[in-house]
Amino acid sequence: MASETPGAGIGSDDPETKRGPLGRWVDSAIKNPDRVYRAMFYVAMLFFLVTTLFPFYWLLVLALTPNNLIANMGLVPNGFNPQVFVAMFERVPFHLYMFNSFVLGITTTVLVLLIASLAGYVFGRLRFPGKGVLMLGILAISYFPPAAFLIPLFELFTGNTAISIGMVTISTPDLFNTPAPMVFPFSALFLPLSIFILTTFYGQIPDGLEDAARVEGTTRLGALFRVIVPLSAPGVATAGVLTFISVYNEFFFSFLMNNGEADSWAPIVAGILKYQGQFDTPYNLMAAASIVGVLPVAILVIIAQERIVSGLTAGALKE
Amino acid sequence: MGDVTLEHVSKHYDDVTAVDDMNLDIDDGEFICLVGPSGCGKSTTMEMIAGLTIPSEGKVFIGDREVTNLPPKDRGVAMVFQNIALFPHMDVYDNISFGLRLRNYDKEEIERRVERAAEIVQLQGMLERMPDEMSGGQRQRVAIARAIVRNPGVFLMDEPLANLDAKLRVHMRTELQRLHKELDTTIIYVTHDQAEAMTMSDRIAVIDSGQLQQIDPPLVCYNEPSNLFVAGFIGSPSMNFLDGEVAADGFTSTNIDVEFDPADLGVEPGTDVTMGIRPEDVYLVDEESLVSNPSHRIDAVTDVLEPMGDEIFVYLKLSESAETDLEDTSGVANDQLLMSVAPDTDIAEDEDVTVVLDRSRVHLFDTATGEAISHGIETPVQTSGAPGTEAESDD
Repeated sequence: MASETPGAGIGSDDPETKRGPLGRWVDSAIKNPDRVYRAMFYVAMLFFLVTTLFPFYWLLVLALTPNNLIANMGLVPNGFNPQVFVAMFERVPFHLYMFNSFVLGITTTVLVLLIASLAGYVFGRLRFPGKGVLMLGILAISYFPPAAFLIPLFELFTGNTAISIGMVTISTPDLFNTPAPMVFPFSALFLPLSIFILTTFYGQIPDGLEDAARVEGTTRLGALFRVIVPLSAPGVATAGVLTFISVYNEFFFSFLMNNGEADSWAPIVAGILKYQGQFDTPYNLMAAASIVGVLPVAILVIIAQERIVSGLTAGALKE
Repeated sequence: MGDVTLEHVSKHYDDVTAVDDMNLDIDDGEFICLVGPSGCGKSTTMEMIAGLTIPSEGKVFIGDREVTNLPPKDRGVAMVFQNIALFPHMDVYDNISFGLRLRNYDKEEIERRVERAAEIVQLQGMLERMPDEMSGGQRQRVAIARAIVRNPGVFLMDEPLANLDAKLRVHMRTELQRLHKELDTTIIYVTHDQAEAMTMSDRIAVIDSGQLQQIDPPLVCYNEPSNLFVAGFIGSPSMNFLDGEVAADGFTSTNIDVEFDPADLGVEPGTDVTMGIRPEDVYLVDEESLVSNPSHRIDAVTDVLEPMGDEIFVYLKLSESAETDLEDTSGVANDQLLMSVAPDTDIAEDEDVTVVLDRSRVHLFDTATGEAISHGIETPVQTSGAPGTEAESDD
């Protein structure tokens, strides 16, 4: 029946004429799936490269284009103005904002690593009732939107809260425009992730090593910092880098807990917004500042990647 | 300084008792092995001496100091671990000097001591290596050097040879004995390998289910085990056990009777007892003259032969239906007997043989409690023979 139709008759004679180019492509794809996978890989990679790198390219384009030519732009800069990277420091003390960001990031990272190490030791190496619930509780904190904390924290850090102990009433110190109201919320918000990472790493260090250190003469804390932490270097580095980058990029508390001046510990975010003047909006300077601000983190990631991929524990134990 | 005392020490975990009312008295300079099957509490006992585990009850003394609640670092002990536990991020020198550096010894002193320790364990010239560049035996020697460098009062070794291959293990065994002679320090050594315990220690402490079964010199544990567990645990292959009871004229069981006067041993006729006899105390009948105090003759059929080179283990079937039950690990088998004979003995499988037991080496245990009743029966066999003894018709 179907075989009697003319179309089927032609097709059955020569498969190549029966199928169009798409059919042939499908046919070869089924025979050689590797080619398809490779093609898909390139397409996907190109997509991600464009989406991640295009903003940087666009920043560079904006930075190099003089501000008066910045309208009706194409994909290439409307002019070439490298002096923008000098001008950005002249208009706003951007280096001071960067310094503030570094100080905030490093302080928070040190604080977080210290506390997360202790917590990670407890969660990773000790057994006690309620461990799972407690861990879940800590992780739950990191799911809270920072905005939920803002009002009470703002009241607390600006000295508007008073605590009465019997007859004495103590009002909280005014910490507005100091690093504290940023460092504390950052630490609290980024701790859970670090605790989680370090718990996993510390839990994998064999008990024998800790026991050996303790018999040799350390306390539990000594064993933690002399043996467990060095052996968990990749985990500590990961937790540290993630915390630092998160703080460096943080906007919410950074913007609200100071008046935006460099000498009030305002970080990079405030610095970039500072270029906005009453009579002009120098997009080129803002773009240049953004590039300069991102550079340290980019360098950090490149360096840390090598640090993170180091198998220190290889061959440590016969087990 | 180096004597260790445990007084009524117990350790309970949630619903498990790991160590139950342990009393141990270890003298300065002694080499003690704690032996027992896996999970018997020997490692927990050691951890309580080291301070890594705090006992639930009881007291621990090292020297004349009570150390029950002291942290490990303040106890003057050093430990060698089963998994060796070298710090992988430090080279050999740093590993060995770790404890000294923590105690703020000055640099020359540390250097001198590390050199000396390395010399004792023959690690000269390897101090700059990292642990992962060394062989198992070398790592173990580093671990030992790390332990001896502090001149501890007590050495704790938790199955230090368990992860080494057989040849290296025998070598390190000798090394450890040499080391003990050289250092003259108390060594407490945990192992589940009774051969290690027999060869190295001054005394063996046999532990089972958290309780001390016997603490005696190796040969006493071997020849006069205080209960069924020790009898079965010490010695390889294990002692033969036969369940039976005390009759008016001695031990009687399904296939073997051993004559004695119950009054001599202080047992009531009718008591359930287990008789134990080591494979080397079972003789073929033509070697009967070698045995000072032979039992009645026993007819048997050889089953499986295991030629070991220096001896042959012969599994004997005492009755027709007997089958070697590989599943049964209790050691009690009333219808079979393991015998060891000289390697040049002319013996084949499925052969009828007649054997005798050396009565002076027969052990009797109370079946109910497992406690030893007697080791060896000295009274000679009476000529009449006991009824029911299978071998009597020959004479």
